[in-house]
Formats: sequence, C-alpha cells, structure tokens
Amino acid sequence: MAGGGSATSSEARAVHRAASEVVKSAERSQALFGEKADALSQLAALATECAEQGWDGENATAIDSNAVLMAERFLRALPDGIPMPEFAPEPDGSVSLDWIQSRSRLFSLSVSHSNRLAYAWLDGTDKGHGVARFDGQSVPPLMLEGIKSIVRPGYAGLRAA
Amino acid sequence: MLASGLPEIVGDDEDLARFLTSSNQFSSLMVKPAAFLPSVRDRETSVFRHGGEPPEALWAIGEAHLPRFHGAAIIKAHDCRATLLDVVTDEPPQRHGAIMGWPWLDNDPMEQKAQQKELAAQLASKAALLRR
Repeated sequence: MAGGGSATSSEARAVHRAASEVVKSAERSQALFGEKADALSQLAALATECAEQGWDGENATAIDSNAVLMAERFLRALPDGIPMPEFAPEPDGSVSLDWIQSRSRLFSLSVSHSNRLAYAWLDGTDKGHGVARFDGQSVPPLMLEGIKSIVRPGYAGLRAA
Repeated sequence: MLASGLPEIVGDDEDLARFLTSSNQFSSLMVKPAAFLPSVRDRETSVFRHGGEPPEALWAIGEAHLPRFHGAAIIKAHDCRATLLDVVTDEPPQRHGAIMGWPWLDNDPMEQKAQQKELAAQLASKAALLRR
C-alpha cells in the first residue's frame, strides 16, 4: 500500500509537472501571440500613416502593400524568444524592421516587395551590412544570428560569422 | 554668402535638422536609421541648417515647408562627413541643405540599400531627437 501510494505520488508529481509545463507553454504562447498581434497592429498603423505618396513632405513612395505582406510573413517566421522589432517607413516604399538596444547597438532590416532583404547593424564600433534571401517561411540563418547578437547581450553569432 | 545670410560652405560644427514627418521615424530612445535614408528621386537627404536657435525657430521653418511633422533629428555636419557622406548647401529654400554621396548601385539595388542602411544607422546613432 505504501509502495502504491508512493507510485501514485510519483505519477501525480509527473502529471503536475507536465500540467505546469503545459500552462507555462500556453502562457508563453499567449504572450508571444500578444506580442506578434501588437507588432502586426503597429505595422498596419504605419502602412496607413504612409499610404500616400509624399508622406515625407517630399517625394517618398507610398508604403508598398506587398512590402507590408512580406513584413507580416517575416514577423510570423521569427522564432520564439526573439523580440518583436519596431517599424519605420523608408522613402522607397519599403518597411524597416529595427531591433534597437541602444544608439550604438542595433539591427535594421529593410523589407520590400522583393524576397531579397537588405540589412545593416551597429554593435559598438563594429558595423556591417548584407543581403539575404527570404523564402517567406523561415528567417535566413545569418540574419537570425545577426538579430540574436544584438538582442542577446554576450551572444557572438554575428561577430563570429 | 547665401540669400539666407549663411556661408556657402556648411561648417563642420553646424547643426543640421532633418524633419521627422512620421511618428514611426523615432522611438523613445533615438531617431531610427530610416529617417536618414535618401530620397530615391534626388538621391540625397534633405536637411535644414540649424544654427542652434530656439526650437520655435526651427518649427517655424518646418511649418513653412511641410504639411506635418513630429520633430527633428539634429546632427552635426562633421558626423555626416565622418561616414564619408557630404553636406552641401541647397538653397532655395533658405537654410536648405542636403546630405549627399550615398552609395548608388544601379545594377544591385539591394546591396545599394544595405550600404545605405549602414550609413543611415551611423547617422542615427549620432543624432539627437528634438520632439515638437
């Protein structure tokens, strides 16, 4: 009886642990969904604000609806644990996705109608730029390393690359 | 001397104001790099030479030329030149100037954009945000 009780307790603890993991996972998903939903709302607001040619008071191109769609795909492709970027309009109708940790530590990515993405980063005195192809499903590995190296202090992915 | 009374050469210590026409061009932390990207048509970034006057004087310039703006990015001419971009006068209108010398690669627009973004990020890192 004592042994059975012990087994039950063990099972109960395992179930409790599993349930806790499910709850934690659900909370993470909820938080993540909330973050992505907020980011998508901000992207939509930017597209509305800059929907007219000349939104900059000069001759800027209206934000390209295909660029917005591509940016949405990119957001959805971001793996768990990567914070959502901020957005900015670009004069050629592209959307800039920015991860800004400080003035000298940032990663900026340009999304247009094209599946090729231009990006640049500053990391202290280090800086650079690149172009990567986005298949609409997964973030290009080198680009992901670059974003991680900016948003995660101590991560040396981009510098090592 | 120009009609504005300013010298024809933009001095290294001069402040340049880049008006921010979208609320998405800045965060609570800083001006975002995209705010400095050049116009596709002119291949330059439009700025106004700002002599350290009170902000109200700067806002008056903005109101005269723009339908709406949220503030300005202020950057020294020497910070632009440190990136190997140049700053030149471009009057009229009075006090107008331009950041020039952006990379332009007609055969590879994405590499061109990447190079421009790196420079714009450097400018943004040096710019002060002045909110209206």
